[in-house]
Amino acid sequence: MTANQNELLSALVDGELKGNELEQALQLLSTNDTARAQFQRHQLVSDVLHGHVSHNLAIDLTGRIADALLDEPAITLPTKRKALVIPFPTQFWKQATGLALAASVGALAVMGVTNQSQSQLMPVTAVASIEAPAQPITVAQAGNRWTVGEQEVEQRLNTYLVNHNEYAGASSVFSYARVVSYDVGQ
Amino acid sequence: MRALLHVAISCCLLSVGLIAHADNEVTLLQRMDVAAKQLNYEGVFSYRTGKTMQAIRIIHRANQQGEIERLISLNGVVREVIRNNEMMTCIYPEGKSVQPDHRPLGRGFPGDFLNRLNLASDYYQFALGREERVAGHHTQELKVMPIDNYRYGYNLWVDKDTDLLLQSDLVDDHDDVLETVAFSSVEMGHDIPEVLLQAQSQGNEMTWNRAEHVMAIKTMANKARSLWQIDWMPEGFTLVAQQNRLKAKNGASIEQHVYSDGLNSISIFIEKIRAQHTHLRGGSKMGTTNAFGTIINTHFVTIVGEVPQRTVEKVGNSIHYIENE
Repeated sequence: MTANQNELLSALVDGELKGNELEQALQLLSTNDTARAQFQRHQLVSDVLHGHVSHNLAIDLTGRIADALLDEPAITLPTKRKALVIPFPTQFWKQATGLALAASVGALAVMGVTNQSQSQLMPVTAVASIEAPAQPITVAQAGNRWTVGEQEVEQRLNTYLVNHNEYAGASSVFSYARVVSYDVGQ
Repeated sequence: MRALLHVAISCCLLSVGLIAHADNEVTLLQRMDVAAKQLNYEGVFSYRTGKTMQAIRIIHRANQQGEIERLISLNGVVREVIRNNEMMTCIYPEGKSVQPDHRPLGRGFPGDFLNRLNLASDYYQFALGREERVAGHHTQELKVMPIDNYRYGYNLWVDKDTDLLLQSDLVDDHDDVLETVAFSSVEMGHDIPEVLLQAQSQGNEMTWNRAEHVMAIKTMANKARSLWQIDWMPEGFTLVAQQNRLKAKNGASIEQHVYSDGLNSISIFIEKIRAQHTHLRGGSKMGTTNAFGTIINTHFVTIVGEVPQRTVEKVGNSIHYIENE
């Protein structure tokens, strides 16, 4: 990536781009993995400088930034990754941060969720059971994917999430943020 | 545009008699809601929760025909969502196996944000914060602080010129930021050409049409009696919508009850067990959305909401099947 491109991304984070420059930066982000990674670094640095991070992050900044970058799928995943099936249709309007971010339609669609088709998820013998087997789940570290082990459980939660998001929030600016950013790297 | 928005909001305020006791914070929230729906805007925002960060481009146009919005993920695979008043279209990368499904979409809350703000004012404190610069625009910070630890709060940064929300932090009861969504660049009030609202990526496409299946509580006079009783909700959460026409992939009916305090919401999903399936037992979370699952009387019962884990768990443990009692 060239110095000019880096400067372009920095200006994008600072909100200084308009018109052709903005298009150029977006084009760069959509086609260049290195640029995306660099954009995220700029964004994180900007957030830290403006105090838009939790106190915990500020305490151990370097380690957390390193962790964040290591965990970021856009950096580590090859772009030719096999396509993911979105098991639940829908929309994800409203949501990003509840009150204000929450609002439009849904984007479940944008979440790459699972690679299994529905037929694979359905049991071959549909024998009704009195009680489904219990699957103890404990809440794990916050991530951008349900903290469950079973794909079927995750799929059901995604379906519920879609329908819940119709009611999750008030305004409608960042409605898809949670969905669009659903962790496809797992 | 801003003047028009203010006139519209003032009319709304007068119509419900709120203006007599409205303060700056509540009217700012109302203006923010209107601006998000009525403004043209285009920009890039980042979404960060935990260690995850995502950049998303958004293009939003509003005119006499209504709203249309396009979002494109800038990280990883290119995914697009285009939605308007009637339907939503999602485009996935080539090679993705997609099963078209026409799930009826709910309508979400009825357009009564102002009434909901009135409801919320008993359970949140609002305070204006500092004026700051976000994405090159001067903003007013607005703090929304819950009265207890059963719900989250917000720090919002609203553009002083247009009232568009430019940044939102979701915060817990320790004021730690759990989630941030913030524009890094945004343009507002300009014409949005049609081409920018058309999908550019190629791939599989799915479309869902909006349906009218969800009943707002105001129109639920003849709603079917639920066989489920919820004994506990955080103070201020009331039933705002209910639907029982959702279908699981296996055909099972799903009943959904939505409770809200005006700003945050909790959904309860009840699904009849049809076959040997596994289900969530206990808590799980995705970003700032928490879920709690249990099995009651051969039904999967799941609570989902942007509220703390303690809240969904306590709600889940208070649910009973009436006929069993």
